Amino acid sequence: MFHMYLPIAGNSVNIILILGLGGFVGLLSGIFGVGGGFLMTPLLMMFGIPPTVAAASDSNQIVGASTSGTLAHMRLGNVDIPMGIMLLLGGVAGGTLGVQVIKLLKAMGNADFLIAITYVIMLGGVGGYMFWESLQGMRHENGLPIEKMKPAPKAEPEEKKKSLVQRLPFQYRFEKSGCEISTLLPLGFGVLVGILAAIMGVGGGFVMVPVMVYLLRMPMHVVVGTSLFQILFTCVNVTVMQAWSNHTVDFVLAVLLLLGSTIGAQLGTAVSKRLKADQLKIMLASLVLLVCAKMLAGLLMTPTIMVALKGGH
Amino acid sequence: MKNIKRFIQFIGFTLVCWPLVLCAQEVPVGLKLSTSQINISTFYDGTTLKAEGTIPADVDVLLEVQGPKRNVELKLKGKVAGLLWMNKTDVELENVPSVYMVYTPDKVGSDLFMTELGVGSDNLMKDLSILHAGYQKLVRDIVIKPASEDKMFIFGEYVKLMEKAGVYAVNNGTVAYGAVKDGKKPFAVVLNIPPKMSAGQYKVKAIAVKNGKILVQTAVPLTLQLSGFPKLIATLSRDHALLFGIMAVVIAVAAGLIIGMLFKGGGGAH
Repeated sequence: MFHMYLPIAGNSVNIILILGLGGFVGLLSGIFGVGGGFLMTPLLMMFGIPPTVAAASDSNQIVGASTSGTLAHMRLGNVDIPMGIMLLLGGVAGGTLGVQVIKLLKAMGNADFLIAITYVIMLGGVGGYMFWESLQGMRHENGLPIEKMKPAPKAEPEEKKKSLVQRLPFQYRFEKSGCEISTLLPLGFGVLVGILAAIMGVGGGFVMVPVMVYLLRMPMHVVVGTSLFQILFTCVNVTVMQAWSNHTVDFVLAVLLLLGSTIGAQLGTAVSKRLKADQLKIMLASLVLLVCAKMLAGLLMTPTIMVALKGGH
Repeated sequence: MKNIKRFIQFIGFTLVCWPLVLCAQEVPVGLKLSTSQINISTFYDGTTLKAEGTIPADVDVLLEVQGPKRNVELKLKGKVAGLLWMNKTDVELENVPSVYMVYTPDKVGSDLFMTELGVGSDNLMKDLSILHAGYQKLVRDIVIKPASEDKMFIFGEYVKLMEKAGVYAVNNGTVAYGAVKDGKKPFAVVLNIPPKMSAGQYKVKAIAVKNGKILVQTAVPLTLQLSGFPKLIATLSRDHALLFGIMAVVIAVAAGLIIGMLFKGGGGAH
């Protein structure tokens, strides 16, 4: 009972299961503020959805999930539109490139391997850093000695440091973010995130947020709104390109996931209020590392079936 | 004397030809399906259909559901840098059916398939244990490229892949016989049609077997076709891909706005 046939995936799925999957990921999203795409795609793959359909349909779902959030933040004045446009232009270019890469690898029969290895590298890096950082925070809170920090590097002369950044062309003052940087920086980061979005089926937030906070030095309240703005349009581009080039978008699957994830996010928000910040961070980091380990195990362990269909599923 | 000689020649000729006459007679195998067309609609999750017919009382029958034969391009997995498993070598299998499901009347199915290969016919006999009884019948017609690759191993792995998808299966002991009447017995079996069996034309074949020999094969067509909403989606996605992509975005945005208004927020998953 309660099965729906997905003609793009070429299989039927249990509607309750897909709603539950969306709800679970939405719950985590509501608790941690991130965790939609990077969990959803691997989970869909585990439940038998072909990887290329999982990644493309998840991008479609993120469009829906990001829409209301972006509008809410725009109303609050938390979106730096010029910064968002620069990130977006880079994201569109990167997303288009990423879709063509997937198309090529799908024809060669190695799209699944690239998706898996990208997840392992990204999740391992992000999860590992988050785990270490939150552990340091918890140790500090409990009065435990934290690991010796490396000695601070010699302070460079102010003039020399400024010239390294100012050497880049197309400098612009982003008022809402309170920074003056070359537009090439957000363009370049946008391209990177766009490529990741296409390959992994994610919005890129778990990469873009640290980039905006640590590298572009943007205030946090502007980071969230601008990140959502950029993710929304990047995923719009990826969805259209995946549907046009690879015919892998299943919007029925996307809408089912969206419905489940929105309900889950409401519950997750209520749960997150009861947890401390460092507890949340270390739980998220553990989850990220768990998914990473699962994907890595798939690459290291001898496969149960030694052949795969060429050209995707 | 001349007439007696002719009569003896006639009797001799008849005695020689009679077995040939008998062999030329068809063994009647009736086969019918409960339905010959299956519609894949919105809530489709696979289905079953009944195949039944009659055969002579001293004959066995097995049924095959077979899809069109095609060439399949595969990637054989191998280790990269001695550590990571990835798809490495290109391999092609020719004349492989897209769907292959067999239904036999008892648990010892392989005896019935030995009729196709014959005792000591070729070297494949010694490798039969690699494959589940029932697939050996396919092996003879399959061509592997490059020829240097291990055909039995590659096909065995391909069978595992297809069994996991549910489109290859050997179902021993599923054909039931009824009571013998007038020298005939009815047979019936429930055929499983899994959801991964895509839209297309298939054949359901009844194979009458006796004393290790195939007597006759009867086939009836079976059609699976998309209908309703799945058909609309598949057509749009294939024939109007750009429009389909834009439509997917518009629907997602609208769904996101509506759900966000209903639940006052909606977040924005990264």
